[in-house]
Amino acid sequence: MDETVAEFIKRTILKIPLNELTTILKAWDFLSENQLQTVNFRQRKESVVQHLIHLCEEKRASLNDAALLDIICEDVDLFDMKQFKNSFKKILQRALKNVTVSFRETEENAVWIRIAWGTQYTKPNQYKPTYVVYYSQTPYAFKSSSTLRRNTPLLGQALTVASKHHQIVKMDLRSRYLDSLKAIVFKQYNQTFETHNSATPLQERSLGLDINMDSRIIHENIVEKERVQRITQETFGDYPQPQLEFAQYKLETKFKSDLNGSILAEREEPLRCLIKFSSPHLLEALKSLAPAGIADAPLSPLLTCIPNKRKNYFKIRDK
Amino acid sequence: MKPPPPKFKRFSCLSLLTSWDYRQTMDSYDVPESTPSASSRPEDYFVGATPLQKRLESIRKQTSFIPTPPRRKVPQCSQLQEDVDPQKVAFLLHKQWTLYSLTPLYKFSYSNLKEYSRLLNAFIVAEKQKGLAVEVGEDFNIKVIFSTLLGMKGTQRDPEAFLVQIQSKSQLPSENREGKVLWTGWFCCIFGDSLLETVSEDFTCLPLFLANGAESNTAIIGTWFQKTFDCYFSPLTINAFNLSWMAAMWTACKVDHYVATTEFLWSVPCSPQSLDISYAIHPEDAKALWDSIHKTPGEVTQEEVDLFMDCLYSHFHRHFKIHLSATRLVRVSTSVASAHTDGKIKILCHKYLIGVLAYLTELAVFQIE
Repeated sequence: MDETVAEFIKRTILKIPLNELTTILKAWDFLSENQLQTVNFRQRKESVVQHLIHLCEEKRASLNDAALLDIICEDVDLFDMKQFKNSFKKILQRALKNVTVSFRETEENAVWIRIAWGTQYTKPNQYKPTYVVYYSQTPYAFKSSSTLRRNTPLLGQALTVASKHHQIVKMDLRSRYLDSLKAIVFKQYNQTFETHNSATPLQERSLGLDINMDSRIIHENIVEKERVQRITQETFGDYPQPQLEFAQYKLETKFKSDLNGSILAEREEPLRCLIKFSSPHLLEALKSLAPAGIADAPLSPLLTCIPNKRKNYFKIRDK
Repeated sequence: MKPPPPKFKRFSCLSLLTSWDYRQTMDSYDVPESTPSASSRPEDYFVGATPLQKRLESIRKQTSFIPTPPRRKVPQCSQLQEDVDPQKVAFLLHKQWTLYSLTPLYKFSYSNLKEYSRLLNAFIVAEKQKGLAVEVGEDFNIKVIFSTLLGMKGTQRDPEAFLVQIQSKSQLPSENREGKVLWTGWFCCIFGDSLLETVSEDFTCLPLFLANGAESNTAIIGTWFQKTFDCYFSPLTINAFNLSWMAAMWTACKVDHYVATTEFLWSVPCSPQSLDISYAIHPEDAKALWDSIHKTPGEVTQEEVDLFMDCLYSHFHRHFKIHLSATRLVRVSTSVASAHTDGKIKILCHKYLIGVLAYLTELAVFQIE
């Protein structure tokens, strides 16, 4: 075996953490079962690596084989479903003696997990389970809201460790519609299902305008309406919006008004407000506001950023 | 939209990070200054708003047809009269009451309350036997009690308020004779001078009726009163104009400690989806805003109410570009009381009980006239 190839393989193997080494070597499929069995993986890493290089030399590893090992190492998402399930279950069972964990794999590399929680002394409550959907090829999971607060950190820890990540963060995005959450998180909502031509010209309906009114005003109104429609379409797109029921904004911003400059002028503190929008289909409702004349076009970015920022719970402060 | 399948709970999203990910958890958003009008056109008749927007603006500024006074007294922390039963007053607070206006009662007598109890009791039982839906309990063991509510008045001229209760009779022959209260209704008149002047001696004016309990009971009791005293109940709705007055007045009241946040609820007339906007503001901040606006001591004027609401609208518009003035105010809630446009009220503060009732009496009287 070439010196450079040996060195390359050595450096590649050194980068692999010990707990993943056997998995990766098996996936590489270059060294035989028998060969691997001769290796004592409990030694110091340097000794393990030396032994492995020796085995590679025996089998005359080529540059191609080394390159293949490199590719496998880069593919960090070497997701092993069985290992994930075992690890997840073990973590929960070690912490709480009484817990029921069940799995169901579905398409799109998703695994549904059902957890019924008990305590050290009580049996699991099967009527208040938590559901988690983990998309193994992504760093995202979705958790149903029916979890007792004391179990949440444990659940987070189990997910993080079993999926081989370092930390789990709760996003400010909640909804009843799992499909919509998926669409927003995975940015799948902006697929046009129908092909539309650009907006059909608006027909002027009678707005109770005086017939004698200058035709220039009517023209201006059409222009304004078209502008609103165009901006709304640019902001929201042509496609059906993902379905959310709420958006919540916690505002701590100063009061600034153009109505009367003196109102609250000396006050340093911001106004503490909590604004909640609710609707059976929030984004569609927001989309209809500017065309109805209830909102300006363009609508505020605080509202239009919801799918983009993947949030529907916000804390806003003055900069 | 069809409702979500019942098994679907609300889901939250979790994001799994590897060691090199770092996220900021707080947004500091640059709220833009209110943008100038979209157009600066040479034509002077086009002011940058669609006719619909202009119409909505004018509706907003339009004063209501109700000939309400342009100024009202700030509700004073009223000292209830000495003969008031504090327990009874406490019983009236923290409950949701449905409001009705009531025309004057013909030949009603305070000395016949026991008789009325008996008659109403018999009436309810008879209605139940007719097979009509009566939710007074599975059995007929109910007791109707009429009693006066002393001290619930504005001036000495106001007639005495009275209370009607339906209690379930206790099954057990124990010393505890008080059954569970199934339904409560009370009749009052606070500062009802304008109405009192117009009616003759045979009539008792108690224009404000408040009910708590099953709707079906309210209907039956209403029928009996209508038959017995030739009066007429009418549900009292509260329009947006009056809700804003209530919000301003109740914000103006001095409260020792705030028990509730100041909250407004708007319903947006967009289709096909409905949209509700709830706007809650810390009560101290609401008070600061009001104090900054309020100029006339002891009084609340129309201009101040309008300015108060406009400030709230403008703060909201700055962030969201939505004109709340084009939507429908449906509910207001403060530490003093909360009111819903459908005629529902909940009073939280005993100090201002009379003040709140005075306003409601005024609305009831207007509806009757």
